[in-house]
Amino acid sequence: MPALQTTKDRIIASPLAKRLAAEKGLDLKLIQGTGPHGRIIRADVEEAATRPALSPTLSVVQPAPDTGAAYDAIPNSNMRKVIARRLTESKQTVPHFYLTVDCELDELLALRKKINEVADVRVSVNDFIIRAVALALKKVPQANASWTNEAILQYRHADISVAVATPTGLITPIVKAAETKLVAAISTEMKDLAARARDGKLRPDEFQGGGFTISNLGMFGIKDFAAIINPPQACILAIGAGEQRPVVKHGQLAVATVMSCTLSTDHRAVDGAVGAHFIKVFKETIEHPYAMVI
Amino acid sequence: MTQDIIIIGGGPGGYVTAIRASQLGMKVTLVERSHLGGICLNWGCIPTKALLRSAEAYTMMKHAASYGLTVKDFGFDLKKIVERSRGVSAQLSAGVKHLMKKNKVEVIEGTAKLLGKCKVQVAKNDETTIELSAKHIVIATGARPRALPGLEPDGKLVWTYKEAMVPDTLPKSLLVIGSGAIGIEFASFYNALGVAVTVVEVMDRIMPVEDEEISAFARKALEKRGLKIITGAVVKKLDKAKDSVTATIEQGGKASQTTFDRVISAVGIVANIEEIGLENTKVVVEKGHIKVNEWSATDEAGVYAIGDVTAPPWLAHKASHEGIICVEKIAGVKDVHPLDLGNIPGCTYCTPQVASVGLTEAKAKAAGYDIRVGRFSFMGNGKAIAMGEPEGLVKTIFDAKTGALLGAHMVGAEVTEMIQGFTLGRTLETTEAELMHTVFPHPTISESMHEAVLDAYGRVVHM
Repeated sequence: MPALQTTKDRIIASPLAKRLAAEKGLDLKLIQGTGPHGRIIRADVEEAATRPALSPTLSVVQPAPDTGAAYDAIPNSNMRKVIARRLTESKQTVPHFYLTVDCELDELLALRKKINEVADVRVSVNDFIIRAVALALKKVPQANASWTNEAILQYRHADISVAVATPTGLITPIVKAAETKLVAAISTEMKDLAARARDGKLRPDEFQGGGFTISNLGMFGIKDFAAIINPPQACILAIGAGEQRPVVKHGQLAVATVMSCTLSTDHRAVDGAVGAHFIKVFKETIEHPYAMVI
Repeated sequence: MTQDIIIIGGGPGGYVTAIRASQLGMKVTLVERSHLGGICLNWGCIPTKALLRSAEAYTMMKHAASYGLTVKDFGFDLKKIVERSRGVSAQLSAGVKHLMKKNKVEVIEGTAKLLGKCKVQVAKNDETTIELSAKHIVIATGARPRALPGLEPDGKLVWTYKEAMVPDTLPKSLLVIGSGAIGIEFASFYNALGVAVTVVEVMDRIMPVEDEEISAFARKALEKRGLKIITGAVVKKLDKAKDSVTATIEQGGKASQTTFDRVISAVGIVANIEEIGLENTKVVVEKGHIKVNEWSATDEAGVYAIGDVTAPPWLAHKASHEGIICVEKIAGVKDVHPLDLGNIPGCTYCTPQVASVGLTEAKAKAAGYDIRVGRFSFMGNGKAIAMGEPEGLVKTIFDAKTGALLGAHMVGAEVTEMIQGFTLGRTLETTEAELMHTVFPHPTISESMHEAVLDAYGRVVHM
């Protein structure tokens, strides 16, 4: 079975639109189609070619004419429109359910500190989270899936999309086959992907596809949030901030560094028990992090 | 009474618009002053096809021997040919009436006049007058033949298409002024029945909207059938006698006089914009036609115009489709696009037929395209040879840079039935690659379309 060929992933475009886009070096994925059923037609490509938006390095915001209105109209880039379309479609058509767990981070933080003292690369908590998700997906492959009408596509590798904020909007570069990579390798790869994502220099195959998404807002101090599923994937894991919280251990009140994580799940492809199993394995991996470095 | 939409005119523009509006859930009233189906169905496209079919069958009988057939004693009865043509129109007009009923379109027989502010007054054919109002009003009043000064039709010696459609007797000689689709079709019909036909065209070639090569090919083919064609010439005046007309024809500064039994004036159309109350609205008229935007909206809010009453091309299928887009836009249907004029095919049903879509070679060059041109003659097509129709040419024009099909032009048997293949390709935004990989059934004349595509890229097979 091909890696990923769902109808949602196929770009519907006219032959001429495809050829013009290739010629102009435009990414069809970032072009909003206005033909029948959202098909990308020649006019859409020609229109996109006149906008700087498709080159993510450029700011799309043009100064709005001073009309004396109570607002400034900031024209939507094609990327903005694609984000809007895909997320609306997801929230409206995918039956989401949400599972939240708290993970204690102290052991992981201690391990990270020791590694960073001796290793060449500086690994982040996020690198561990990617690794933990990859290992959990290996144990619970049912969560590494996409729904289609004919079949549930269960991916053979843990290709993990990691949400990165860029000046023009959200993009999700992919750490491919993350289950085969150690934390240091993931860390190096992620630094490179994130830097190039911000510069708009990712190749399409570096952000198109993926089987599972991680969205981390911990750096903003967000305690917990529920993310919108990134179609056609079935699961997205939202990571909150690691913070010191009172916890009860053996009947005693204690202080631990705790991180809340919420899994948003497409119920068509993944049932509650499977989602719960996945997030339990993830929690155990985070809380017993030595397994991640062997 | 308040309707969602009132449509003025029940021709191919108006009645199709009415059906689409009804499908979209609107309450529709259609006002028609004489007959449903309009000129197209009653005095144009359809009845001429019936006449031409008779002429074709007659021509086939004449050539029976070349097919190994023996026909003794054959001929025609003009009265019956005309009767058949009228019967076809009557049948289809009744069909439209049925369609209106089926689609719950209220039809009012009468003459409508805009009163402004979404109001329409209808002087009904039963002599009563009513007032209607609707949020949207579509003007689809069509057009009528143009009369040039000094060449005005009188319905007896100088005909328009209407008289030419129902002749009592055959003239011995006939002058056709104008070589557009209407002129050439009547010329072809009368010529086939043995009338000595002369066509005078002001431009330097016949069917001037067609590709030059196709136009030249058609001219040669028509002349071979006995048609006399004078191009770059003007009919200066017509002197009428009791049962004949002497025409003064000027060509290259030299005038000469020729006498004909009858004359057909086919020098274009004028829009029906009078007496429909445009003065009560902000509707703007430009070059004799109603000005509209890409969604058929006029300058008056809530008033739209489609078809022959607006800018060219003046074709039934353009009118219908404009109307469909217009009401879909009103209804807020998603992803509606304005009509692409480059995707409207044109057909002329003379023998041999002519059909085209998109840009001619000259227009493609003028538009600055770097082009690739492909050609294929019916001489290389098995089906055409088997049918005894080896006279034909398909020409394709591609944008060398993108492979976009810019235009396709055809002359020969059955081409009016085939042009939609290229039209579909254009609508789907094909490039040469998809056309090359389309499997054309063998044996058909349509294979010559495939070959003309291959030829544009140096890959022609049967040439």
